[in-house]
Amino acid sequence: MTAGTSPLDPSPPAHPLPARLGQPPPAPQVQPPLVQLRGITKTFPGVIACRAVDLEVGRGEIHALLGENGAGKSTLMNILTGIYQPDAGEIHIDGVRRHFAAPKDAMAAGIGMVHQHFKLVASFTVAENIHLGWEHTPARIRARDLAARTRRLADSLGLAVRPDARIDELSTGEQQRVEILRVLARRARVLILDEPTAVLSPSDAQELFKTLKAFVAHGNAVILISHKLDEVLKVADRISVLRGGRRVATEKALDSSASGLARLMVGHDLVSGANLRGAARVNGAGLATHPVAAAHAVPVLELRDIVVIDSTGRTRLDRVSLKLHGGEILGIAGVTGNGQKELSQVVSGMLPVSAGAVMLGGKDFSRRSARDFAAFGLGHIPEDRLQSGLAAALSVIDNSALREYARPPISRKGWYRPAKARVLAQSIAVAAAVSVADFAMPVANLSGGNQQRIVARREMRIATRVLVAAYPSRGLDVGAIETMMRYFVQLRDDGVGVILISEELDELRNIADRIAVMCQGAIMGVLDPATASIADFGLALAGQRHGATAPLEAPAPQRPRD
Amino acid sequence: MTYRLQRFPTPLATSAFAARTLAVVLALLTAGAALALTGSSPLSLAREVVTDTFGSAFALEDLALLVSPLILTGLSVSVALRIGAWNIGAEGQFNAGSLAAAGIGLFVPGPPFVILSLMLAAGIGGGVLWMAAPALARAYAGVSEIITTLLLNFVAGLLVYWLATGPWLAPGGRAIGTTARIVVDIPELWDEVHWGLPAAILLCVTLSALLRFTRWGYEIRVCGSNPQAARYAGMPVRRHLITVMLLSGGIAGVAGMVEVAGTVHHLQGGISNNFGYLGIMVAVLARRSTLGVLASALFMAVLLNSGIILSTRGVDVSVVLAVTGLVLLYTAIGDEIAHYRIVRGAALSARAAEAAPKEYPPNELAE
Amino acid sequence: MDLATGLLHTAVLAGGVPALAALGEVLAERVGVINLGVEGLMALGALSAVVAVVATSNPYLGLLAALGVGLALGLVFAFVTVQIRANQVLCGLALTLLGTGLAAALGKPYSGTPVPALFGPVPLPYLSRIPVLGPAFFAQNILVYVIYLVLPVGLHYLLFRTRHGLHLRAVGENPAAADAAGIPVQRLRFCYVAVGAALAAVAGAYLTLCFVPSWSEGVVGGRGWIAVALVIFAGYRPINAVAGALLFGTTTALGFLGQARNWPVAAPVLSMLPYLATLLLLIVPVAASPAMRRRMAAPAALGLAYFRDER
Repeated sequence: MTAGTSPLDPSPPAHPLPARLGQPPPAPQVQPPLVQLRGITKTFPGVIACRAVDLEVGRGEIHALLGENGAGKSTLMNILTGIYQPDAGEIHIDGVRRHFAAPKDAMAAGIGMVHQHFKLVASFTVAENIHLGWEHTPARIRARDLAARTRRLADSLGLAVRPDARIDELSTGEQQRVEILRVLARRARVLILDEPTAVLSPSDAQELFKTLKAFVAHGNAVILISHKLDEVLKVADRISVLRGGRRVATEKALDSSASGLARLMVGHDLVSGANLRGAARVNGAGLATHPVAAAHAVPVLELRDIVVIDSTGRTRLDRVSLKLHGGEILGIAGVTGNGQKELSQVVSGMLPVSAGAVMLGGKDFSRRSARDFAAFGLGHIPEDRLQSGLAAALSVIDNSALREYARPPISRKGWYRPAKARVLAQSIAVAAAVSVADFAMPVANLSGGNQQRIVARREMRIATRVLVAAYPSRGLDVGAIETMMRYFVQLRDDGVGVILISEELDELRNIADRIAVMCQGAIMGVLDPATASIADFGLALAGQRHGATAPLEAPAPQRPRD
Repeated sequence: MTYRLQRFPTPLATSAFAARTLAVVLALLTAGAALALTGSSPLSLAREVVTDTFGSAFALEDLALLVSPLILTGLSVSVALRIGAWNIGAEGQFNAGSLAAAGIGLFVPGPPFVILSLMLAAGIGGGVLWMAAPALARAYAGVSEIITTLLLNFVAGLLVYWLATGPWLAPGGRAIGTTARIVVDIPELWDEVHWGLPAAILLCVTLSALLRFTRWGYEIRVCGSNPQAARYAGMPVRRHLITVMLLSGGIAGVAGMVEVAGTVHHLQGGISNNFGYLGIMVAVLARRSTLGVLASALFMAVLLNSGIILSTRGVDVSVVLAVTGLVLLYTAIGDEIAHYRIVRGAALSARAAEAAPKEYPPNELAE
Repeated sequence: MDLATGLLHTAVLAGGVPALAALGEVLAERVGVINLGVEGLMALGALSAVVAVVATSNPYLGLLAALGVGLALGLVFAFVTVQIRANQVLCGLALTLLGTGLAAALGKPYSGTPVPALFGPVPLPYLSRIPVLGPAFFAQNILVYVIYLVLPVGLHYLLFRTRHGLHLRAVGENPAAADAAGIPVQRLRFCYVAVGAALAAVAGAYLTLCFVPSWSEGVVGGRGWIAVALVIFAGYRPINAVAGALLFGTTTALGFLGQARNWPVAAPVLSMLPYLATLLLLIVPVAASPAMRRRMAAPAALGLAYFRDER
């Protein structure tokens, strides 16, 4: 394929040599694109993941794949790396048609992928993981040799890793470095990254982009899967947008804008840019502006110097103190893996603390069970619904009743009444706008997004005083996220205190009244989204304690970062 | 329009049922073929088995006597499965129950009703005791109950053998190798069939109702399906795990008591007669349904009875064990295959299906 | 032989049975497949060895017969659990029932027949002269040397010092990661499940050719389950598994000693010792120290089928 002839390729035709008199100009010399996907189609039970997708990635290019959850980005890349087989379509590498029956075929062709969920063996060391399936691994191995070779490799590629550490002891950022190192060691020419910055602090993300730019400068290519518009606009050369399994556009980053891309991703203008803090007014419900936090003297939820140490001795929460009042939304920002999971478990009574106190409505609940927390009126939308929030093999009815099964009308004097539970399940499904074909079927049959909506609704029902929502928009499309955010605002306006844990700073800045930033298990600062700048947030996310903190933060000495 | 097979997270109920039925049929066919290879004629044997099993009142009584211990051991394993535990030790708990009940029956004098009640309590107690160590080890140290319950089977078997042929041997009973006849019997319902059978059926129905219609039952089902979600809902998972495991042991112990007091009337080595292991089969065949244990136990009893009948025709009784294994194997395969459905080339709606955890309690040994 | 030597000698001999089966099971579980059919495999291996030796008077052919049977059944088991991906616990139980039942039925004509040719002791030149330990450890038959020395060291080396071993362990810990690294997950699982089953069957042959030595129904007596328990106790490490088997052998030998010396404890009670000992070995170390739990943890993907195409 010569440049300029493909409708996909906006790059200009090769510069023609000056014509000699009487001689036609020589044909422009172009190499075929590094990667070419044609007409890729893939289906799974009940869903068409990819529909006749074409994609071209040239040398020296950082190509971004944008799209919402479920748009088909990960599936497409899994096909390119040989994990899935396409139902139709062709793959061409360097102009040669290839068929990848297994991941190692793709690897041999120079395709390497760093997945969103790292393919690392948790109990092995860094060196062992690097040497897994690598042609340079000797038949006989000794830990010392592996470590030395790993160090040499890391130095040559400019990525810092600790060869003897076990993977499950590393931070997510470090694990990602190991993954990248692993892929680059196998002489990948095409590096695919799936949502790489989801687990990185802004400074780590900058490091990553530097590495990527250096990589493509050698004539390689990078495919970046992301849903973060501004990042993609900064880093990528070209951007392809996927929607509903189809490729809807490919544009040069220089020619695009965030709103234009958003429109392509969703198919209509996004509302999320609007400040939902004022949504109540916009709705015309006649509600007043949100009540001032200080109106409630006693915080509905308070954490005092909470310390959580896990079974391996690592400190997960480090003297965390927070106050939540009814009628406010407190956002918790931070890169995933900095203690948010433990925080959400502590405030919902699931995790006992090693030190400190959890107060609800002014009373000490530190020794109380999760059931007492729920009885107080605390709802909790968990981060991992299938692990914590749902019993996959049980019916939709039984799952909907999970929080209210012990109360009348469902339960009376020790009897459980399935008929009443069914009524509850139906009302939850209606409120969540989920259509359920058969309430008696296992809840695992519902789609991830529907499951999330049902869990959220179930929790919001019992959240009369506090709602803790951990990454509630995961697995939801933009429309559903908007609806959920409006519910949170509604709850807030009704006097409920809402804790919203999210990795999307924008989401929090839109809706939260205050935002606490977590890093390494500690609160770096509580910022006011109206006044704090992106730089303030960035610093806090990277581990710098914020100067202007709320009065309840006790000043602590600066801790060196790992 | 191309067709292909696609694996779904959960099987259709009809597929699962069809797969199981097919598994049983295939197992029987395989056994028949093997028998044919060894020279016996499977068809004539089958005919004889059917007439002998269902042909006479005596035959039905024999069948009934096999069904009640199978219902009870099947129930024991089934209940444990509900909370996510494999009770491989039903055999040992059965022996422990027989032993305890026989101890009362042989050495404690008193009016029949009192003795019978004491024997029942002893049976339950024996089974519970035999499950105690594995239950606590699982609940507090995450030790797999598969191996621990199994090891205790051997200990219980040896204990019963020792008592029956040693300290409790019937006077002048060197040759018989069993204890004296226990004086008190479970009253008979009809000929040889005693009240143990309706009691077993009642217990099964009651447990099924408890699991479906009580708060406790709901909590057990949630704990068994996803302990983490149960904890999140504030349920005392560990307490339920121990309670249900002990309950499971107790039920198997009752099975032992019923066998000793209703059918055999002596304590002898081998009284458990593989009922415990066959109970695993019964529970697995019944899948998630407690009431299904009844039908499953009946099927197993027919199978077992056929083995006994065949042994009088020269076919070794161990063949039954092998056939049971075959049924289990084909069932396991069938259950997995039932997850696949035939799907047309283009799918219908744009939902993302997510992988669900497996149906059975986890394979992994550590929690 | 004096008391201590005799005791140790019997302990080593007895322990060899679960040791060999445990070594095989370590391999299978290290690739992530739990094989609960060891008991049935041992029964069939034991019987086929006896049949072969009775027919040919050559103990090596007995071993070969057991090996063949074990390998064949192992491939079937591997196919069902790794390829079809049926539930591993159920399939293992099925294999035990099938193996035990089949062996009992087919073995009737051979019940109690003494085995005509056995593996004789092969004393090692200088080592067998060491007082007490010498005759106990170094005047055994050749299979003992293989089971206690060659195999554990060899397997330890394979698992922890070779690239192949690294790949093997990765399959059991995280098959998705191994697959992404280009390691043939299904092939490795197939291979080591079959090898593990073969070793279990040969362990049965060892039982009827070196220890008992004859066939009877129930001769395996739960040793297959002991082997599975030993693997857990050993933290899935070959050398630890063999050490544990030796301990088990010692309790068995103590039982024999007690019977021979007419100790006041009855024979069946003495026979309980090995099972109770194994039970304690399983519970006590893990209950005592949570750090032990982490170190001896099972391969993370043990018992789980691997589906590449599952979202």
